[in-house]
This record gives sequence, structure tokens and C-alpha cells, in this order.
Amino acid sequence: MESVLLGIGVTALAGALATVAGAAEDTESNIGSQGDPNSQVQLAPQMGYIHRIYNKAVSGEPPAYGLWVTISAGVAWAFMITGMNPVLAIVIASALAVFVQGVYATTAYLGRTASLAKFEQPVYIDVIKSVTTVTMAHAFVAIFTTVAMCYLLVEALGHPFPLPLLGIVWGIALGAAGSATGNPFYGKERQYQTQNFGAGVPISASGNIVRYAEAGQRSSLDNGWFTAKLGGPASGVCFGLIVFLELWRTVLFESVAGGWGAIIAGVVIILIFMIIDRYIEVWARKNYGPYVKAEEVSA
Amino acid sequence: MTVQVTASTGGIPHNKIMAFGLVGSLVCLYLTYLNQYLSVEYAAFFGGLAAVFALIWGTDTIKHLCSYGIGTGVPSAGMIAFGSGAIAMLLATATQFNSMFLSPIMAVVFGAIIGGVAGWLANSVMRMNIPVMVRSLTEMAIIGAIVLMGFTAVMAGGFGFEALSAREFALFGSLAIKNFEFTVLGGCLVAVSFMLGAIALQHPFNACLGPGEKQDRTLMLAAECGFLSMIPVAVISFAFVGIGAAVLSLIVAVVGWYYTYARYIELSKRDAFAWLDAKPILEPKGED
Repeated sequence: MESVLLGIGVTALAGALATVAGAAEDTESNIGSQGDPNSQVQLAPQMGYIHRIYNKAVSGEPPAYGLWVTISAGVAWAFMITGMNPVLAIVIASALAVFVQGVYATTAYLGRTASLAKFEQPVYIDVIKSVTTVTMAHAFVAIFTTVAMCYLLVEALGHPFPLPLLGIVWGIALGAAGSATGNPFYGKERQYQTQNFGAGVPISASGNIVRYAEAGQRSSLDNGWFTAKLGGPASGVCFGLIVFLELWRTVLFESVAGGWGAIIAGVVIILIFMIIDRYIEVWARKNYGPYVKAEEVSA
Repeated sequence: MTVQVTASTGGIPHNKIMAFGLVGSLVCLYLTYLNQYLSVEYAAFFGGLAAVFALIWGTDTIKHLCSYGIGTGVPSAGMIAFGSGAIAMLLATATQFNSMFLSPIMAVVFGAIIGGVAGWLANSVMRMNIPVMVRSLTEMAIIGAIVLMGFTAVMAGGFGFEALSAREFALFGSLAIKNFEFTVLGGCLVAVSFMLGAIALQHPFNACLGPGEKQDRTLMLAAECGFLSMIPVAVISFAFVGIGAAVLSLIVAVVGWYYTYARYIELSKRDAFAWLDAKPILEPKGED
């Protein structure tokens, strides 16, 4: 009983860490314009819209976060087997991973922007200086919390995988959660807020992202400020729930039916979420209906 | 609407880069055998240099493959290279080959077989019908295997099965015990090498693609990514090799990274439309 209580406590703590990680990850990727909205940032100069938005085209978020978290987990693991204090090891390893992330971010911005010279898109050095550091800070939070969570799984819950392997699994999961949940807030709600709500992005509007702010010109930091309100927390809840439910079912039901209990519980959780998703989809279709053509205004 | 993938043509021909990358990385991998031969660990850093050579070659391969309009496929190309390369690497580091100093050659052979099969599946079974697919995937599986072996050599001082899976701990002076958990394979550090290599392989072309892509800038970025990946690998090596060898690997990585990064920024400055600091958006004047 005591071990189950401890397990539930660790599960809650891991879920909380994952929530912070998800929120930081989404905000980081939106400030840097990573993930699928990046294609519009890349496209804008080709359509004649010169902008001052960061262009962090490292790869999709899942592989990129797979890398940052795995670096941190691997280096922390190596430090720990030499006898270093785990907290110190994870902090130093996360700092090293963030250094790699920052270098990748600058080379991506410089490379993509320099290759757009034909369309008169200049390289803005102040964008690199001001935005890279902010994405690095958010990435540090995301990486540190994810690796700390993985460490909890190994040390407190006795997970059989070594830390680097958990790092690659949960790093990719973190990137996937942030990408799937957070990007609509950035892509459709922020870059295209001049379009009518629900209009989608027609071909004619491709690349026509919002480049000017309420005062002056829009910076990528404004995008982070905007998505930190809803997109970030939504991603955090998504990743936190993934981690929490995954551990919860294992801690509670692993002893049932020789391990099959946890698997059955997992399938049941997936079925419940499928029913919820289907209900929301049907509800949304009924209330908003299919896309309709704009009604002709009578002359 | 997706981003159009455009790449420059001309420059150094691909076959030349391939020869340069293959020979350079094989020579560097063989130089890591000095560790075994001389019973030292200082030659570990040659593994990192092998990875850099292979990544330069791989960047050019990805450029050729992705010029067939595989826009979002650029990062995936890095993943499949290392997925197939990991199998080739594990087969090639088997004790039979390593004891005969054959592991690097066998990595090329196994990589070619696995990559060739993957390319054939992609082209003939999945009907992608991309002319360079079979050749590119063959090259990339070899590159993946070489980079993984190179990083492993930096971490553990060699890529023999003993170096990968066993580590001796000194207990009370002369008494030593063997540990299999705290090793490169036991700690699953192949996952770290996998991600470091896969992202480093796809990043240079992914970052530089566009109408103004230049071969020298892209390849400089490839070298930069190689040295940058070597930095965490060298830091991890502190746990496995002597402090002198690990510091040497770290210095080689940092110096190489700094030089290539500075050169890359210079080349970006050369190719950029303008290099501005704290200036507003300049609306384009158009070409006419």
C-alpha cells in the first residue's frame, strides 16, 4: 500500500513537471516559429511580405525535442555514473543541451534567411540577439523538467529503461504534444489574425502573415506572449495528462493479471478519449456547420 | 501550400564529395584503432572527425535526394539514414570483425545492403519512383553507420564489443569488477548518438534550402553540425575514457566548432540580401 501511495505521489509530481515542460516547449517553438507554422514564415518573403519573424527551421518539433532532451538525459546519465549529484548533473546537462539548441536556432535563421536574398529579405541581427536567448531560456525549462521527470521514473518508480532511452521517448512525445496542441494557436490564430475567423487560409492569403504590431513591427517575442496565454497551457495540459495517465495506469494496475491490467487500463483510457473526441467533433459540426460561401451583399 | 525546395546546381560534383567523405571517414575510423594498437585512449577524437567527414558527404546526398521535391522529407531523410545505419553499425562491431580490424569496412558493406534494400522498397514497393532513391538511401545508411561508429569511438575509445558493453571499476585498489550496466550500450547512449547524428545530417540542407542556397555555405554548416554534435559526445566520454583523452576530444570539438561556426556566419553574411541591426522592415522594391 505504501509503495502505491508513493507511486501515486511520484505520478502527480511527474505530471506536474510534464505540464510545465509542455507549456515551455510550446512557447519556445512559437517564439522561434518552429513546426508547421514555420512554412508560412518561410513563404512570406517569397510572396513579397518581408518580415522580422524568427525562422527556426531545425526540423519538426518532435525530432528537435527528441534531440535536446536526449542530449540532456545522456550527459546527465554520464555525469551521474561518475558520482555527480543528480540535480547538479541534470542542470549542467540541460545547459549543454540548450547551448546546442541555441546554435541550431541561429544557424537555421541565418541559413534560411540568407537563401531568401533573391526576395530582398534581409538578415536582422537584432532578431537573432533578442529572440534566440528567449527561446533558449524556455527550452531550458522544458528540457530540465522533462529530464527531471525521466529521472523520477527511473529512481522513484524503478523504470527499467536507462535515462537516455527515456529521454528520447519522452522528448519526442513532448515535441509531438506541443506541436499538435499548440501550433493552431500560433499558426491560425496569431499569424492569420487579419483573416476572418474560421476562414481557413486560402491560397491567396498564403504568406500574408501579420507583420506589423499594434505599435511598430511584430517581433517573434509578441508571438510568444500571445500563445503563452492559451496555446502554452493547452500543450502543458496535454503533455501533463499523457504523462500522468501513462504512469497512473501503470502504478495502479500493473499488479493486476500479471501486467495485463495496465495494458487493459491503457486501452480503456484510449477508448474513453476517442468517445470524448467524437462527441466534441459531432457537437462542433452541429453548432458551426460546414463552411458556407459568404452571402452576397444586396446592392 | 508548402515551401518549394530549391537547391543550387554546379559546385563540386557529388561523386567527388562522396569519395572525399568515404575515404576521409574510413581513414579516421581506422586511426581510432591506434587506441587498441598502442593501448592508449588519445585517438578517440578521430571518431568525431570521421563523423564530420561523413556528415559533409551526407549533406550533399540529402541535397540531391531532396531536390526531387521532397519538402517535408528532409528531416525524415536523416532519421531513415540513422535507423538503417544503427543496424549496420551493430552488425559491423561484432567481435569477429573488430578483432580483424574490419569493422569500418563491414559498416560500409552492411550499410550498403540495408540502405539498398530500403531504397528498393521505397522505389519499387511504395512506388515513389525517385531516380536517385536507391543510391541515396544506400549512401545514407553507410553514413549513418559511420557516424554512429565515430561517436561511439569518441565516447568509449573504440567500437569493439568489449568497449561498448563492459566497463571495469577499480574497487579497493587492485580488485576490479566488470560492470555491464554503466556502459555505452547499457546506458543506451546509442540513442544520444542517433539523435545527434540524425539532426546533424538533415539540418544543413534543411536550414539552407531556398533559391539562394550555396554549396560551400551548406557544407560549412554540415561541418559545423558535426563538430557541434561532437561536443556533447566528448562531454559524455568523461565517464568512459581517461580525462586526458576526453579533454583532447572536447578541445578538438570546440575548436572545430568555433572555426566552422565563424566561417558559416561569414558565408551567410556574404549571401544575405542585407545584414541589418535594429532596422525596420524594408518593403521590397521588386526586381523591375
